[in-house]
Amino acid sequence: MGTERKGTEAVIHRRLRNQICSSNGWVDACCAAEMSVKAFELVPAVARELLMGDKARINIECIECCGKHLYIGTNDCFIHHFLLEETTTKGTLSYSVQKQLVRYLGLKKPVDALKAASALERLIVLCDSTLSMVDMVTLEPVPSGGSKVRGVAAFCINENPVNGDPFCVEMGVISARRRTVQVYMLYEDRVQLVKEVTTPEQPCAVSLDGYFLCLALSSQYMILNYSTGAAQDLFPYDSEERKPIVKRIGREEFLLAAPGGLGMFANAEGVSQRAPVNWSESVIGAAVCFPYVVALDEGFITVHSMLDQQLKQTLSFRDGHILQDFEGKVVLASTKAVYVLVPLPLERQIQDLLAGHRVEEALTLTEGAQRNIPKDKFQILHKRILQQAGFIQFGQLQFLEAKEHFRTGQLDVRELISLYPLLLPASSSFSRCHPPLHQFADLNHLAQGDQEKVQKCKRFLITYLGEVRSTEGANGCREDVDTALLKLYAEQDHDSLLDLLASPNACLLADCAPWLEKHHKYFALGLLYHYNGQDAAAIQIWVRVVNGELQDSTRSDLYEYIVDFLSFCSNLDLVWKYADWALQKDQTIGVKIFTLRTLAKNQTKDQTGQINPDDVITYLGKHNQALLLYLEHLVLERRIKKEKLHTHLAVLYTDRVLSLLAQSSSMDAQVSAARDKLQLLLRESNLYRVQLLLGKIQDCNQLLLERATLHGKLEEHDKALHILVHQLKDFPAAEAYCVWGSASRDAGYQQHLYHLLLGVYLDRDIPGSSSTGPGGSNGTGELEMAAVDLLNGHGEVFDAVQVLGLIPEGWSLQLLRPFLGRALRGSMHAHRTSQLALGLARSENIQLHHDRLKQRRSPVLVSDQKGCHLCHNTFSEPDCVCLPGGVPVHTHCAAKRVVPDSPIKRQLANTSNHT
Amino acid sequence: MPEFSKMRKPDVKIVILGDMNVGKTSLLHRYTERKFKDTVSTVGGAFFLKQWGPYNISIWDTAGREQFHGLGSMYCRGAAAVILTYDLTNWHSLAELEERFLSLTDTANHDCIYAIVGNKADLTGNQAQQVAGQDGPTEDQGEGGGVNPPSACPTPPASPVLLSRVTLNKQVSREDAVSLYGRILRYKGMDESNCLPADKMCFETSAKTGYNVDALFETLFDMVLPSILRNRTEREQSPTVDLEDHKETGKRTRARCC
Ligand SMILES: Nc1nc2c(ncn2[C@@H]2O[C@H](COP(=O)(O)OP(=O)(O)OP(=O)(O)O)[C@@H](O)[C@H]2O)c(=O)[nH]1
Ligand SMILES: [Mg+2]
Repeated sequence: MGTERKGTEAVIHRRLRNQICSSNGWVDACCAAEMSVKAFELVPAVARELLMGDKARINIECIECCGKHLYIGTNDCFIHHFLLEETTTKGTLSYSVQKQLVRYLGLKKPVDALKAASALERLIVLCDSTLSMVDMVTLEPVPSGGSKVRGVAAFCINENPVNGDPFCVEMGVISARRRTVQVYMLYEDRVQLVKEVTTPEQPCAVSLDGYFLCLALSSQYMILNYSTGAAQDLFPYDSEERKPIVKRIGREEFLLAAPGGLGMFANAEGVSQRAPVNWSESVIGAAVCFPYVVALDEGFITVHSMLDQQLKQTLSFRDGHILQDFEGKVVLASTKAVYVLVPLPLERQIQDLLAGHRVEEALTLTEGAQRNIPKDKFQILHKRILQQAGFIQFGQLQFLEAKEHFRTGQLDVRELISLYPLLLPASSSFSRCHPPLHQFADLNHLAQGDQEKVQKCKRFLITYLGEVRSTEGANGCREDVDTALLKLYAEQDHDSLLDLLASPNACLLADCAPWLEKHHKYFALGLLYHYNGQDAAAIQIWVRVVNGELQDSTRSDLYEYIVDFLSFCSNLDLVWKYADWALQKDQTIGVKIFTLRTLAKNQTKDQTGQINPDDVITYLGKHNQALLLYLEHLVLERRIKKEKLHTHLAVLYTDRVLSLLAQSSSMDAQVSAARDKLQLLLRESNLYRVQLLLGKIQDCNQLLLERATLHGKLEEHDKALHILVHQLKDFPAAEAYCVWGSASRDAGYQQHLYHLLLGVYLDRDIPGSSSTGPGGSNGTGELEMAAVDLLNGHGEVFDAVQVLGLIPEGWSLQLLRPFLGRALRGSMHAHRTSQLALGLARSENIQLHHDRLKQRRSPVLVSDQKGCHLCHNTFSEPDCVCLPGGVPVHTHCAAKRVVPDSPIKRQLANTSNHT
Repeated sequence: MPEFSKMRKPDVKIVILGDMNVGKTSLLHRYTERKFKDTVSTVGGAFFLKQWGPYNISIWDTAGREQFHGLGSMYCRGAAAVILTYDLTNWHSLAELEERFLSLTDTANHDCIYAIVGNKADLTGNQAQQVAGQDGPTEDQGEGGGVNPPSACPTPPASPVLLSRVTLNKQVSREDAVSLYGRILRYKGMDESNCLPADKMCFETSAKTGYNVDALFETLFDMVLPSILRNRTEREQSPTVDLEDHKETGKRTRARCC
């Protein structure tokens, strides 16, 4: 299941969990502990003295309430009229009662029911199974304009009338003897029977909504549409055993007493849309006062929530026998007195629930009241309750739930931060909301000294702030949030401290710096300074850490970090200020300050933060190693083409080699590594001053190869080759020299070098070689073999004819066979290739001649009717080009289309002069 | 009287029926709360609203106690699916489905889907027992001695099959459930070939271990989707329901149990 659905589901679950619980009946077991909600207060309205005094036999039989009018029917056939006045003194509500008229109906029968028809100003009276009417004020009988309705067992008024006439009252009437229900329309001057429906069994209670009669029959409930006759069985109920309850509670919805002491809901379709509430078996009356179902049984008034079906309150009430609601006002009567069940203000109920930490219920109640409260007011209330709920759960360390409630309640995150001492910046303008959302002074108060609790809360705040940061929730208080987060991170040694500082943040420097110092987070402090544009302070702190003045192990490579930092730093004063420090610690690393830095592009406008390499070189004068690295960087990596740099580097290399050679302790590997570098530079670079270097190594007999290279640079190839061949006797090096010396030159130059080399090999006038006697002849033989190998190995570069002139007479043919063979084959090949090319050229020439003659034979027609095949425009002048097949096109079109060297182009060339 | 708020109207209704103690409430708990916890015999009924994609599905948990039996028809009215639950270790609970609960579904939609669910699979010594791990402080549910306790329901098996000690508790075979499913379809006058096949609609679950519970509910949710869509269009058209519609169905002869 996707996480995005979680939010709504959580709410639904919350609500439903409660439903299940309640319906499972554990309310019975738990109610004593759970029932701290005070949803209602029972307020006396009419005391016994006002009604019957101490006449013991007189009982209240029925009541009716209409606005301020309260009517009471008694068993001795009296109707009492009172005016009920609400008064509130010191927040407690009470009723003052004014006695009005009392009327005796003259029958010695009890008054069974009273209903006000206020539009008609009548009171409908059921007495002695007969319906009659009296005036609401005078209680005088009013003629009902025809026969009285007799044989009535019970009746009800349609609170959702189908007749649009406001002066018409609709009535459902149960007949006492027949199995019928009648529907009457009651007008000012007459009573009209509209419908009579027979029922399968004797009905005993009725309620009417629109066309729907909800009936209790002797063994079941049913719903009957008196207009269509459609009937719907609801469920079985033994009305003889227990008094049925049929109570309309809203549009097309009824509340019914069900077996097992249940209060069942049923709509006009016969469907239950709410889970039942669990009353006692002896329930006498029930009503809905949203969001509660109140019911009366032999000893108690019970209050169940319709939202979660839980029992919320129980009020003891002896001898109760009537519970009815009149326009939302729940009125109860014992046999002797009348009371009003006054709902407490919703907010107070909610606060009571919260005070008892009953978060779910409080929220359910709040959300359930949504429709009864104006939208804007509801939203404020809802948010506040959510926030309070969140804090309660927070206090219980139920962080997930708390977070969800903070989020949905759009809590000002500073409310939460402010619980944690010292986290809010001193400059914050925040003050907690009033009345407070919770009773905690601060975290210590909440945790009661339990450090583990404190830690848990802190970790929670870290995650919470981390999440809030990225949302709009932090708008307007980003500084507070980020500062608090930074402090927490620092204090908790949290890895994200650096991430926070390295990314955009609103941490307040003034507040955070001392905090970071306190927690020895100097590296982080540097980052903070840097983020606030105070690089000098940043580096200063870091340098002190590296120097061991301050302790912070965040980065073991802080020195490298500083170097890296300086290499990016645009404040050159800072760079120069700390370069010395960095170089003194380690030249190879310190030099990165300069080598990692992007170089000044020549003549770019923005030169800030750019360093002139010459300045660096001058500066590095005293740091040899760094200087060398820097020059290498410029010359080898950046490939800067400046004679000065190249020469400087070559000189440094040379000096190093020379000094190594001078020290007897030098290792071979060291020397050869240094020489390799030097040689590479000498070979690859063309910019250094050759003569200068030549002068430097002239006297050193160990650097012959370098000398050869330098001669080569001066194009003194014979000198170079002479060194290589006669002094070094390194023939592969000599051959490699030829390749190197002629690289990027033409073939002739290469040939020239090879011939030179051959010449050097065959030169007999070398003093050293001729004077050595047998050794010399040996040497000569060696050179001759080198010459032979050269010829046989690289015969293709030589001019064979010249070579033949050079080689000594005495050489055998066999010796040079590979060279000669290749030379012969080569010249043969060249000959034949040219023959072939010649033949091909001839044949093409003939072919073209043929085409030309063919074209000439027929005229090419050009007219202004026929367009050019390429651009489709007409021809305006006779010049044209003829494509193969005699298709004329514009000269420019043809030129545009034709790719150079294609056959068409060639054809073009041949045809362009025809018209 | 104030017009108080109704809960968000569900798009479709699923009802769980079955004898008391078979584990209806536990199944629903397991599905919605992902845990197995102590329950008390359900009073009346209760329901959950489940958000399934864009739809709200209400799942009614009914009371199995005889006392509340009469309310069943009302809960089933308009149901799109009925989950007939029995206890795999209690043969009687399967028989009761046919004896007592089937007729309650007469008020359900004509195209209602029926699932037969044998719960407490963990007690039958098959794989469900091994599907442990879905937390819940339930390990101390009296499993001493390695032999599972017999079901709390003391009813003896109707057919006196002699069971070995190993499969001590399994009293209802899958075939029994499958054949009940066939009889339900016949009772409903539905053509078996047009209905969902028995092997798809007979489940064995364990609310205790969670075995097959999600599969059960989520399979049904998918199956009632057509009903949801139809309800949505109907609700837009007319709010009334023809109450006569259901009159005939109750009078049909019941198929008897073997
Ligand atoms: N071993 C086992 N026990 C279960 C399982 N499901 C439910 N139970 C137990 O069976 C008993 C009854 O469970 P409930 O869920 O209350 O049964 P119910 O069907 O809702 O009963 P009513 O509400 O009375 O109709 C409880 O003790 C549960 O712990 C299961 O899958 N395995
Ligand atoms: Mg249950």
